[in-house]
Amino acid sequence: MAGRSTRYLREPAWRVSAKLALRSLRLNVRRTILTAAAMILGGGLLIFGFSLTDGGQEMWIREAARMGTGHIVIERPEFRNAPRIENRLPREVHDVVTRALASPAVASRVMAASAQLGVRGLASSAAGARPVKITAVVPEAEAGLSTLDAKVTAGRYLRPDDEARAVIGVRLAASLRLEPGSKFVVQSEDATGEIASQLLRVAGIFRSGVAEVDQTTVQVPLQTADGWLGAGNGVTNVKVVLLHSSLVPETVAALEEALAAHILEGNVAVLDWKTANPALASAIALDNFSGSIVRVLLFGIIAFGIMNTVLMSVLHRHREFGILQAIGMSPAQTGVIVLIEGMVLTLLSGFIGVGLGTFLTWYFFGDGLDFSGSMDEMTFSGILLEPVIVPEFRTGRYLQSLGFILVVGTIASVYPALRAARIDVTEVLKFDR
Amino acid sequence: MKAMPEHDDRLNATAIRTDRVNKTFRQASEEVHAVRDVSLAVATGEFTALAGPSGSGKTTLLNLVGGLTRPTSGRVWVGGNEISRMRQRKLAKFRLQRIGFVFQAYNLLPVLSAFENAEFPMLLQGIAAGERRSRVTALFERTGLAGLEARRPGKLSGGQQQRVAVVRAVAGRPAFVLADEPTANLDSAASDSLLDLMSELNRDLGVTFVFATHDAKVMDRSRRLVKMVDGAIASDELRP
Repeated sequence: MAGRSTRYLREPAWRVSAKLALRSLRLNVRRTILTAAAMILGGGLLIFGFSLTDGGQEMWIREAARMGTGHIVIERPEFRNAPRIENRLPREVHDVVTRALASPAVASRVMAASAQLGVRGLASSAAGARPVKITAVVPEAEAGLSTLDAKVTAGRYLRPDDEARAVIGVRLAASLRLEPGSKFVVQSEDATGEIASQLLRVAGIFRSGVAEVDQTTVQVPLQTADGWLGAGNGVTNVKVVLLHSSLVPETVAALEEALAAHILEGNVAVLDWKTANPALASAIALDNFSGSIVRVLLFGIIAFGIMNTVLMSVLHRHREFGILQAIGMSPAQTGVIVLIEGMVLTLLSGFIGVGLGTFLTWYFFGDGLDFSGSMDEMTFSGILLEPVIVPEFRTGRYLQSLGFILVVGTIASVYPALRAARIDVTEVLKFDR
Repeated sequence: MKAMPEHDDRLNATAIRTDRVNKTFRQASEEVHAVRDVSLAVATGEFTALAGPSGSGKTTLLNLVGGLTRPTSGRVWVGGNEISRMRQRKLAKFRLQRIGFVFQAYNLLPVLSAFENAEFPMLLQGIAAGERRSRVTALFERTGLAGLEARRPGKLSGGQQQRVAVVRAVAGRPAFVLADEPTANLDSAASDSLLDLMSELNRDLGVTFVFATHDAKVMDRSRRLVKMVDGAIASDELRP
């Protein structure tokens, strides 16, 4: 017995405080569980919130990348403001881009890439004429990258051997009274600056869910556009979709390194999705900001709860702290006991909460949290938002959550620790107290 | 009155000395004079009782000489050191090294076992584990607590808890022990036994005891009886 005791209590100063704190946590199970429950709940909610926010944002970015500009787009610097055929990429630049994308360092991060020739034009049929965005694509490359092929509701998507065929949006088809097999004419400025026309036959009609896309999009095979517009095998941009948006910075850097000479000459720019789609970047920044406010409020409430529980425990243990100070422990050492209790408790609770939150989120919502029952089709910045959000778990978020919990727990323990340090020993040791 | 030095070697044989100590509390809008102009000297090795009715100021005087509270005026010396103006941190260390406490409500730490409670002040003093074990084991044998080392306070009787408190108070070898109504919560047999123990420790080990009490048994056993009324010393007599 004596041996066990002396093994347990061996060191002076702060170690004595730490050991008393741990002993107190272990022996006051109900109080420990009550305080820990608040932190576990907080940790769980934090990781649930983070994983859904990250999953939702990654989905936005992925959809925007596949339906819009890619995670990365390579184009001439002028093209963003003047999307005309004369601002197409020089052939040698396109070749360098193709080689860079095929290099092992970049290829391992790339899900799909598609070279496009994008121009504005006019589509007309017997029913009328409409302004359109004409995108010439390599069908098999585009199908591997875009989700448009899966959204074809009538007819079919483009095939590699298609000549003078087009897929068009459902609203455009309705306004020009077109259906699969119908003919219509598109006009645009060609490489020489002249207006050139092309007769196309509708291969398929898609419904993206985004009104603007369904009203204005015409996709044609690249070889058809090349002959029609005299682009000389040129493209206006190369769209790259990566395996994950987190790979964007390093991939941009690798591509910029490969294209350094051409970038210096002003022939090409490598843009990430934030630059290419600033509206989406702003929306995500706003989403992060509002999420942070909610988290701060949530943790403010939890911190208040913890402070209350720890403070009540301190008030309940006034006599204990009085004894400690009477027999020679300094007020600071007494306060350290409470502080250590709070920190240990919140760290352990944080681990449990984050672990539990991860497990429950993965177990119940691993396949996605379906909001389709509570929302209609929602579009944003030219993309249709999926109603199912699949949570995403990131290592950085775990560190962030644990750090956040520890800080909140420590701050919430400071006031009770000060109260424990500042007790009036003679008052608390009075027998009738 | 002649000012006394902060440290005076001539006072070393005196365990405790107070000089015209006053303590005033404010209760609601009233001032309560708990201790009035008390000058008292307790020599090393004494077995002294401060007696008096409730509110006579004996516990407050004990707290003043124990450094748990500061006098409103006057000075307190312990073993030649003036403690009435000591800083809080230094005072805590001083209490740890020089003063043992026994309280009416035992006041053991509920999260520690009997053995751990007894060795706790020595642990804070930085005494080595072997020495702590040796002292506590010897005192537990002497006080009839052997075999109860692992029990927590809640699993001990009142008398046993108070014995552990006495062991805790003396194990660190303080200059003196202050005991505030140590027998008030004990039955007659436990009370006798505890007083026997403290008398033995006083006689055999030379531990100085100062009690605050209104228990006739304690007064009978004490060799000096200081009676207090309304915060002042009413009588001070040496007993056979």
